[in-house]
Amino acid sequence: MALYLLYESAPGYAVFLANGLDEIGQNTEAVRNSVTDINRFGKVMKLAGFSPFKSSQDALTQCNSVSEGLMTDELRNFLELTLPKVKEGKKPKFSLGVAEPKLGSHIHEVTKFPCQSNEFVLELLRGVRLHFDRFIDLKAGDLEKAQLGLGHSYSRAKVKFNVNRVDNMVI
Amino acid sequence: GGGGMRGGSKVVVEPHRHEGVFVAKGKEDALVTKNMVPGEAVYNEKRVSVQNEDGSKVEYRVWNPFRSKLAAAILGGVDDIWIKPGARVLYLGAASGTTVSHVSDIVGPDGVVYAVEFSHRSGRDLVNMAKKRTNVIPIIEDARHPAKYRMLVGMVDVIFSDVAQPDQARILALNASYFLKAGGHFMISIKANCIDSTAPAEAVFAQEVKKLQAEQFKPMEQVTLEPFERDHACVVGAYRVPKKQKAAQ
Repeated sequence: MALYLLYESAPGYAVFLANGLDEIGQNTEAVRNSVTDINRFGKVMKLAGFSPFKSSQDALTQCNSVSEGLMTDELRNFLELTLPKVKEGKKPKFSLGVAEPKLGSHIHEVTKFPCQSNEFVLELLRGVRLHFDRFIDLKAGDLEKAQLGLGHSYSRAKVKFNVNRVDNMVI
Repeated sequence: GGGGMRGGSKVVVEPHRHEGVFVAKGKEDALVTKNMVPGEAVYNEKRVSVQNEDGSKVEYRVWNPFRSKLAAAILGGVDDIWIKPGARVLYLGAASGTTVSHVSDIVGPDGVVYAVEFSHRSGRDLVNMAKKRTNVIPIIEDARHPAKYRMLVGMVDVIFSDVAQPDQARILALNASYFLKAGGHFMISIKANCIDSTAPAEAVFAQEVKKLQAEQFKPMEQVTLEPFERDHACVVGAYRVPKKQKAAQ
């Protein structure tokens, strides 16, 4: 049974395919030890697709939805392009590992892709987070630049929206 | 303005034992960090300008231990703060960003500080401070739910936690499981009152250390933040220490 992983990053969405997980074992302890070493982890984890966000506005929209556990149309399109088709009446031969169960159930509801979120998936995603810039062709510092821009727009929106409310309360 | 730290030539700045931290030696010694944004104060703190032999000037900002638990821990003699030039730091409970601004000075242009604060009022100051410091990524979100900001944060070397919540050990553990690399380090400020106001402070600290040990943390040292904070301690340690390393010790 193939395991795909969804990784949401500041520059875009990525899907990974985990190969030969039997080699490192299915238990959490074995995964823990294998994710730190890029040589071992790189053999197990292959990038299946990357969909960069179109603009900083788009990135903010995606980030807000991911934060709320919702799948956007853009994420849906990307998943449907990247993952194998699910045929009606047949049991899919793969599943999609997602960091957060609420997003997983929304994806499953709409697309019928079987999703899972558990300790095992989270361990693999730790490995992806640790080595992400080696999988995606990014220049040094590009990932942080994307995080910086998105962090500011995400936080500015929160402060703006809620600060008024606080100010009103004070008055 | 004015005050003891002004008057340039009389003040000598020496590196502190912790890389990226300095001591200004004038009338009275003061902890300082090298200002990432020369010419600007963040919270009205004093600045010290020192002239190098070649005539160039370096500006430092005075770091007040009464306003920063990290500074209090350093003056309390903590062995290692793990936050150093180039480090990637996740700071939980960033408040208005006073300490965060000094952490930003310490890690410098090659480091990153992900600063999480849930209160929108202090968050506004934090966001404004971060505008001028490009190594600070402000995150206005609840530290209890790291999944909500997982898109904004990379793997980090150190987590500094100052959330003053009864479940702070759990909050730290949850964030570490997402963002702290194996063999990375943590610093947590514990305010005894916030956890249990009926038990003696020492008992509360011991109980928190036990909680951390149950979450794959290896506490290595504990310092009191007296006389700058009452009934506060700072616990420092490592996360998911690799087994091999353990055997080698």
